[in-house]
Amino acid sequence: MSYKCSRCKRDVELDSYGGVRCPYCGHRVLLKERAPDVKEVDVE
Amino acid sequence: MADYDVTFIERDDTEARFLVRGVTPAFANGIRRAMIADVPTFSIDTVRFIENSSVMFDEQLALRLGLIPLTTPLGGEFDEDDTVTLALDVEGPETAYSGDLVSSDDMVQPAEEDVPIIDLKDGQRLELEADAVLGYGQDHAKHQGGVAVGYRHLQRVEVVGDRDEFRDDEPEIVRGVIETEGGELVPTEEFDNDLTERYPDSEVEVHDVENAFVFDVETDGSFDVDTLVQAGIDSIRGRAEELKEAVQL
Repeated sequence: MSYKCSRCKRDVELDSYGGVRCPYCGHRVLLKERAPDVKEVDVE
Repeated sequence: MADYDVTFIERDDTEARFLVRGVTPAFANGIRRAMIADVPTFSIDTVRFIENSSVMFDEQLALRLGLIPLTTPLGGEFDEDDTVTLALDVEGPETAYSGDLVSSDDMVQPAEEDVPIIDLKDGQRLELEADAVLGYGQDHAKHQGGVAVGYRHLQRVEVVGDRDEFRDDEPEIVRGVIETEGGELVPTEEFDNDLTERYPDSEVEVHDVENAFVFDVETDGSFDVDTLVQAGIDSIRGRAEELKEAVQL
């Protein structure tokens, strides 16, 4: 899972030990990035 | 069908107004319905989003894209469910317009170039691929080639006497097209829809003319009005012949 720190804008990899915290600046708000896959949508 | 007669009153590429005499109300409504529901147009049906960092959800954008009219040749070049691919790649700060769509087929292009899709701010980007499919208006409104298609009776205006001197000055509003006693066809917009403007000093009576209908037809730009009317009629004829064959012993 890749997240982005909302304060320092760096990419953050989370593991199950570190908890929800940016390892670079200690900020606790992380944003989940949109997956890079192509998304197919049907028009209805 | 017995004798019938078609007269054009107004006509340009996307709008027309014509009078049909000698058809029943049921048949007039059949023509209207055929033009709305049974003339196929191309419309975007599937969208593949490669990047969408805009403020709108993929699904909302897909719905907007579906409603963009695409030019549709009806000369037998395409069959139902044929697909044409279009691509869009716009980076902010800029507005993505329908004209930014690049089609894989020259015959199928956005009918209007200036339909806004979304306003992109700095750093936002929209990149997608879309499949347009040939479908019918009865399946989805995005496939309607005829929009604002309607009809009303032709109205005959007869002068029955002089206007009463002390009568209230009330407007007499009519819409559509009137036929004067001389047989002249006049769209009511010419006298501001008010009969007292055209016949200021006369007492008039207005009657619907039986089996005479004035059609107002407008297309979404997929093809011109002539093609739409012709295709609607062809669709009725095709189904009538199918029925005739099916009920023959």
